Amino acid sequence: MKTLLLFAALAFAATAHAQFRMPNFDINKMVDTVKNVGKAVKEIDEPEEIAIGKDVASRLLGAAPLVADARLQRYVNQVGRWLAVQTERPDLPWQFGVLDSPNVNAFAVPGGTIFITRGLLERMRNEAELAGVLGHEIVHVLRKHHLKAIQKGAQSSLAGDAMSMALKDRAGPARDKLIAFGTEMYSRGLDKGDELEADRLGIVIAARAGYDAYGLPSVLQTLQAMSAQDSAIALMFKTHPAPGERLAALEAMQPTLDAYASRPQLADRFRAQARR
Amino acid sequence: MKFLALLLLLPLLALAEPATVIRATDLKKEPATDSATVASLAENTAIEVLERKGGWTRVKAPGGEGWVRMLALRLGGTTAAKPGASGVTEMFNVARTGTSGTQVTTGVRGLDAEQIANAQPNPAELAKLEKFAADREAASGFASQGKLSPTSVDYPK
Repeated sequence: MKTLLLFAALAFAATAHAQFRMPNFDINKMVDTVKNVGKAVKEIDEPEEIAIGKDVASRLLGAAPLVADARLQRYVNQVGRWLAVQTERPDLPWQFGVLDSPNVNAFAVPGGTIFITRGLLERMRNEAELAGVLGHEIVHVLRKHHLKAIQKGAQSSLAGDAMSMALKDRAGPARDKLIAFGTEMYSRGLDKGDELEADRLGIVIAARAGYDAYGLPSVLQTLQAMSAQDSAIALMFKTHPAPGERLAALEAMQPTLDAYASRPQLADRFRAQARR
Repeated sequence: MKFLALLLLLPLLALAEPATVIRATDLKKEPATDSATVASLAENTAIEVLERKGGWTRVKAPGGEGWVRMLALRLGGTTAAKPGASGVTEMFNVARTGTSGTQVTTGVRGLDAEQIANAQPNPAELAKLEKFAADREAASGFASQGKLSPTSVDYPK
């Protein structure tokens, strides 16, 4: 029934579009109506968000497996879960993984899965820096940055009610297309505004968890010192604003940063758990 | 004997990282705004980073040693971030795809744009990932061990 309604609305919009030069015809209002009908049909709820995330996570693990080190993986999960507990979505099925790649990057997957690469971890000095990066990624999940981008992109690439089919039938071809699209997004990146928001709020989450709030800015300085020509960081630079720009944007956060600066960095624990 | 003294110095030298002052800033005696000013550093001054404490970095500057605001520095020498400085990319086999004209770095790195876009599901690794997850109690005990005290901090507006 909903599908029928959508088709009717689309057909109406197409007619309206052809007549958009006619006076006294509010085309914008018509387009808005169609958009809202589309939204109503395609709203993704939390169980669906989690299911999509698992499928996308499985693909990313197909690109790079986990580092074969159970102690390291458990350590990163403890840091990550402690951070996630401080947020408005503490009970998502949070899981954190270190991917076995020398590339410098981190990924947030809808529903609570966070990946960080071995290459990025190896460039960190302490647990506060790890907390800063995980905090940034956690914000992407909290604010559904990727989910919204997947939804937006899928609406233009999956015609009509294919999106609802992709959500309903987890083994169908529409689902495959949705997940492939969702995975590919990690090679294209989010809006700059989403990244800068994740920086600001990520710092707050690290501070809530009791860490030195300067962990994330410190990592950004490390990245800033890396050459843009270094292929290990090429994708990260392509999909994020430049570290210098992110650091400049964080100057507005200086009061928060300074209020929570003299807290544990836990360099010793980090070295003991994360170094092999 | 001289050799031994030099050896002892080595770890200290290894710690020093080059950095550049990105805007005029004061070199402070202590890591605090109300501390005495040792020197004024102009934009683009090359310095060496010795350690970081909160929002402050201890540096060796032309005017002496002291502390500067971490966000007033860019790590790396004055030329580090300029394109073409490293040439690491050239070490890999860079291929140009037919129609799109985008550069694709080949070589097994696993997480380049192309490899992400073409990745196939790996359910075995996904199962492992789920096994390593920590519950709230474990995370809380872990935080106590590290003397991490949770604090209420509001998000910025």
